[in-house]
Amino acid sequence: MSGAPAAAPSGRAGPAHRGTASSGGSLTGTGSLLRFMLRRDRIWLPAWVLGMTAMLAYFASALGLVLDEESLASFAVFATNPVMALVGGPAYGFDDITAARFLVGMYGAYLMIGAALMSIMTVSRHTRVEEQSGRAELVRASVVGRHAPLAAVLLLVTLMNLLTAGLMTAVFYASPTEPGSLGSSLLFGCSVGAAGLVFAGIAAVTVQLSPYSRAASGGAGAVLAASFAVRGLGDMSAVQGGELDWLSWLSPFGWSQQTAPLVLDRWWPLAISLAATALLLLAGFALQSRRDLAAGILPDRLGSAAAPRWLRGSFSLAFRLQRAGLAWWSFALLAGGVVFGAFLQPMAENAEGMPAEILAVFGGSGGMVDGYLGFMGVYFAIIAAVCAILSAQGLRGEEQSARAESVLAAAVSRSGWILSWAAVSALGSLCLLAAAGLGEGLGAALSTGDWGLLGPTLLGHVAHAPAVWSLLGLALALYGIAPRLIGLTWAVFAYGAVLSLFGDMMELDDAVLGTSVFRHIGQYPAEDVSWAAVGVLAGIALLLAGVGVGGFRRRDLAGA
Amino acid sequence: MTSAPRDGETPVISISNLVKSYGPARALDGLDLRVAPGEVHGFLGPNGAGKSTALRILLGILRHDSGTVRLLGGDPWSDAVSLHRRLAYVPGDVELWPSLTGGEAIDLFARLRGGVDRRRREELVERFDLDPRKKGRAYSKGNRQKVALISALASNAEVLLLDEPTAGLDPLMEAVFQECIRRARDEGCTVLLSSHILAEVEALADRISIVRHGKVVESGTLSDLRHLSRTAVTARTARPVSGLTDRPGVHDLREEGGQIRFDADAQHLPEIMRELSSHGVQALTASPPTLEQLLLRHYGDELHRSAS
Repeated sequence: MSGAPAAAPSGRAGPAHRGTASSGGSLTGTGSLLRFMLRRDRIWLPAWVLGMTAMLAYFASALGLVLDEESLASFAVFATNPVMALVGGPAYGFDDITAARFLVGMYGAYLMIGAALMSIMTVSRHTRVEEQSGRAELVRASVVGRHAPLAAVLLLVTLMNLLTAGLMTAVFYASPTEPGSLGSSLLFGCSVGAAGLVFAGIAAVTVQLSPYSRAASGGAGAVLAASFAVRGLGDMSAVQGGELDWLSWLSPFGWSQQTAPLVLDRWWPLAISLAATALLLLAGFALQSRRDLAAGILPDRLGSAAAPRWLRGSFSLAFRLQRAGLAWWSFALLAGGVVFGAFLQPMAENAEGMPAEILAVFGGSGGMVDGYLGFMGVYFAIIAAVCAILSAQGLRGEEQSARAESVLAAAVSRSGWILSWAAVSALGSLCLLAAAGLGEGLGAALSTGDWGLLGPTLLGHVAHAPAVWSLLGLALALYGIAPRLIGLTWAVFAYGAVLSLFGDMMELDDAVLGTSVFRHIGQYPAEDVSWAAVGVLAGIALLLAGVGVGGFRRRDLAGA
Repeated sequence: MTSAPRDGETPVISISNLVKSYGPARALDGLDLRVAPGEVHGFLGPNGAGKSTALRILLGILRHDSGTVRLLGGDPWSDAVSLHRRLAYVPGDVELWPSLTGGEAIDLFARLRGGVDRRRREELVERFDLDPRKKGRAYSKGNRQKVALISALASNAEVLLLDEPTAGLDPLMEAVFQECIRRARDEGCTVLLSSHILAEVEALADRISIVRHGKVVESGTLSDLRHLSRTAVTARTARPVSGLTDRPGVHDLREEGGQIRFDADAQHLPEIMRELSSHGVQALTASPPTLEQLLLRHYGDELHRSAS
């Protein structure tokens, strides 16, 4: 059986079995489909499960090594502030903190987000994506029941979350954070898996709603973001002794975090997770019975019958296509900036008690305020660079999907097309840095009451734009000359990002650090802005973009 | 074999000895093509014959290795932008942006070429029965094709380059398409219509070029090409016809259910008909060669090979 193509469950075919067709019902073929999905996901499944376990192993060993008794003690005050609660969790046991408790309380939330994303993407991948591509029709045309694909993928996701929970239990128990209790470790692993399961249920519902996979994962992603924010507000209230701590109980992340492994060790909140999962799955199956294959429960919204007046050239087209993405990124960076900016006050207050390695990143305890704001400028420049490189890769997507061909078959020159796109990417990254700087400055000013921080913080962030542009220029040059190699930009980016984030901790030579694009402009306001570096990097960006345009004008367009 | 277009007219498209290779594979192997102003030129050939490659070279999207290409008197590669103001292109596989509506895409493409004829646009949207408010991701292949066609036809272009433009259209929409192309021709538009749908080219084209393995193997008007082909004859006679097999101009003679079928060369038709009538014809059908048969003559060897 294992040798047969599981995509076509044919075991029941043939006239002799005609009578059994009705007895199979809507779940017929679930087993065959599950085997087929396991075959399809032979990379996907281990990549997720092992990747997340490796993330835990990394956190655990890093924390176990960095946080000794002394630094832990000084960390305790710092750890139970509202901002930490917002981005981390309810801070159970932080008054008597251990490395293991800190790991559970601070990093647990991110492992849960990982499990949730794994569930959402896996469910969407095997249900809505299949329906949208039309492959599901072929599968359903064979002896496969109406609910079999959903049932099979839910079994698959359950398996993935169980594996994740099991591996995390083992890795956590054996880690240098020394949790000591196997039961508590198991509870921690299960709390991560339970969050993953709830989001599998949420995805099972959202994939029924819209005919498009992006809307399906987007809807589940929005629930994820809301769940994280709601429990953040609840936890923030909890550490301050406020009255809104019940908010945490409205969120799937809240249920998992309220188990409080190593502190309260409660299992019963996970019963809420399981009950919610069961209800969501029932809802998903019920909705699926009410809709046609490839259709959604919600009607697709109609758009405008004509193009707006301003949409008339390659620049306006590039803007229109990148607008939504840039808006989301800007909003996310603005919000992120506010949160990180609000972090400034507790950081400054607790600077004395921080481990020396971490303090070094921010330029020592003396200039903590400027050091932190300057460092965050680089941090956000790295995020803006991710967005800029993704945007440049969008050029390749346009070309491969043959949409570029249609545009270039109109009266649009090649240099006009590529430069319009690049200009939107470049202005977009400037806009992202401004949003992050504005948010960071606002957060810093609000938490410290010093509005004089706003201007310098904004400048410090925006000043990094040429570093981002130089990476954008590299991506354009590669795209113009050898589009297949555009991914090399990521290597240069990663190298520069790692050196500028961790170079100081690794105590590297200045000559080595200087090879990172993010090391030249200066972390204003802690350091001066090097206008020479700004000019040189901007010049390099222009030069590389020119190389890209030259290459693109000379080469054939890739066909669809 | 190649009958030149009328003298004194500068051709809209003039391609000679065009070569384009992808590594060792020769997509175009010395292609010649002339399209006169105001004609609908059928560019006919099976998949992989090099039709799309030739069109993309005409658009300046691909570079050619050798030979000459002129479009409206200009060089398609270096004068791409100015030439594109005067032409509209519809690819065989239209891809739209998922987040733009069909109406937005129609307007955008037409504006990128220089402008849209609003009245014509509305009329075409109605005739092609397209809902322009849907997002690009929601359209079927046929509807995406309609978006590109409407945009091209509403652009007032001098030249239409159409690469298998009806691949996703149903017969009703195909009829609408044919009407629109005839109207474009009546307004003086030159059309290069690539297709492997024979009936479509037969219905629309003034002249036809048949391309095979990157070369034009025949070019001429439909009646020019019919000369080269054979008439398919089916007949029932009172007495068995004996001497037909050896007669010159008779091919593929076979008997099926009391009827005889064969293909006849045009110049031998009179003698063959006399022979048949002398045996007492009871029923007779003679059909002109279709483009299908023209193609079969050129690709016959391949069909035999793939069949065996």
